[in-house]
Amino acid sequence: MRSAWTRYRIATGYALVEHLRNRLALALVVFFIPIWITLVYLVITNAPVPFLLRASDQVITVDGNHISKISGAVNAVTLIVGFMMFIATYRSAHFDQRVAMAGYPRAHVLAAKLSSLLLAAALICAYAVAVICCYWVPDQPVMLWLSLFGAALAFGGLGVMLGVALRGELEGMFLIIMLSLIDMGLQNPVANPASGNGIVRFLPSYGAMQAGVTSGFLPTAPGLHLLLGPMWLLGSALVASATFRLRTRDRRHTRHTILPRPSARGSVQEDGESAGAGPEEAARRGGGGGSGQTRA
Amino acid sequence: MPAPVLRVTDVHKSYGRHHVLRGVDLALAPGCLAGIVGENGAGKSTLLRILAGLLTPDRGSVTYPVGLGYCPQHTVLNPALTVDQHLRLFQISYDLPDLAQAHELLDILNFSDYRRHRVATLSGGTQQKLNLTLALMHDPPLLLLDEPYQGFDWETYERFWDLAAILRDRGRSVLVVSHLAFDIARFDRLWHLEAGQLSHRAGQPVIAGSGTTAAG
Repeated sequence: MRSAWTRYRIATGYALVEHLRNRLALALVVFFIPIWITLVYLVITNAPVPFLLRASDQVITVDGNHISKISGAVNAVTLIVGFMMFIATYRSAHFDQRVAMAGYPRAHVLAAKLSSLLLAAALICAYAVAVICCYWVPDQPVMLWLSLFGAALAFGGLGVMLGVALRGELEGMFLIIMLSLIDMGLQNPVANPASGNGIVRFLPSYGAMQAGVTSGFLPTAPGLHLLLGPMWLLGSALVASATFRLRTRDRRHTRHTILPRPSARGSVQEDGESAGAGPEEAARRGGGGGSGQTRA
Repeated sequence: MPAPVLRVTDVHKSYGRHHVLRGVDLALAPGCLAGIVGENGAGKSTLLRILAGLLTPDRGSVTYPVGLGYCPQHTVLNPALTVDQHLRLFQISYDLPDLAQAHELLDILNFSDYRRHRVATLSGGTQQKLNLTLALMHDPPLLLLDEPYQGFDWETYERFWDLAAILRDRGRSVLVVSHLAFDIARFDRLWHLEAGQLSHRAGQPVIAGSGTTAAG
């Protein structure tokens, strides 16, 4: 029996290979993030805007261009990481099912996906913060990286969940794009002067936006808001894990009987083995609705 | 008579109002090369997916041993990974000490030269060879193969049947779903899936020990 570390290491390595071979995602990382942030820098007004910072329970007035760079970065990393994780999960769904049903531990398959998500999200967010720092240095760059990281985790988790649950590639892509649009469209105070509305608290990157604005303009720690992104990831991962387990049953360890839905009257046939039984006998028993079978 | 390695009893399956399987019964003995033939849409792949544990029947039961090998009709591979990376993943899945059997299969199916190639760059036929190799590389006692030779050239097609005969002679049970009429002479047992039920059909005898068939 191989060590858990070997199984995890191999699965994680191959999950990373998949990401590295997603050339569209890599192109988005390299070009979309700087283009988006640069356009925000060039186009969005510097006019001060009020922002309800629930992280420190106050309304602060900030430079509209600076806060738009933060929301733009959140928008970019959520789109890219959500897209990457959705595509990787969706395209390998049947293959992952085959690997798991062949005996690869499901926990290692899922852990590998999450590890690749963490690494990819960490690098992409660091890149986004570096680009922001080319135009404006926030008060707490590391904290801003953590904020973006939380948003990327939230959408990465959603991408994994949609990749496991959905049957169509286009549906997943649209859902991620629409979610990200709604998310940032409602929270950016330049685009939406009513961004303080309580409903925004239920958006996936709400915590990231609150923590990001805090790290951009204040010396205080955003505290619990940093944890909201990982909480979204946890919720999505639980749904994805449950769906994955439903779709991949472990058939390795016992002589297995596949049985249909149980009924109150049905009895379970533990093992249909009986020496000497040929197809004719089986047909005879089956045709008569013989005992030892479950009826739906 | 030895105990069957696969027993299927009164399996039913419907998709909405479309009753695909209406009481399928089957028992497969060890060391038997068996086939299921039927028209397109007869439910062959549905039946094999139920046998492989990928679909739940509406009614009935299926029993089989540990160590099933299943080759799906359409290739289920990861286009981003190489052939070697696939073998490594499934070596861990099956907990195999080495890849000797897998490499032997690569030689038999004549695609050893592609070990470092990514699946996305392989032809359909070579992808199908890998698809089949992943089902066979742990030498399971029961093999469920859903038209496993799609895209094979004639030589590889013949090699596949030689391989199936070798496995049968080693005591493995092989159940192949096929829609090709000229395959039927290669089977020890043959069932015809029609109107949702299996009926036994006599095939031409296999030439014993030669690894080839009368229809070769």
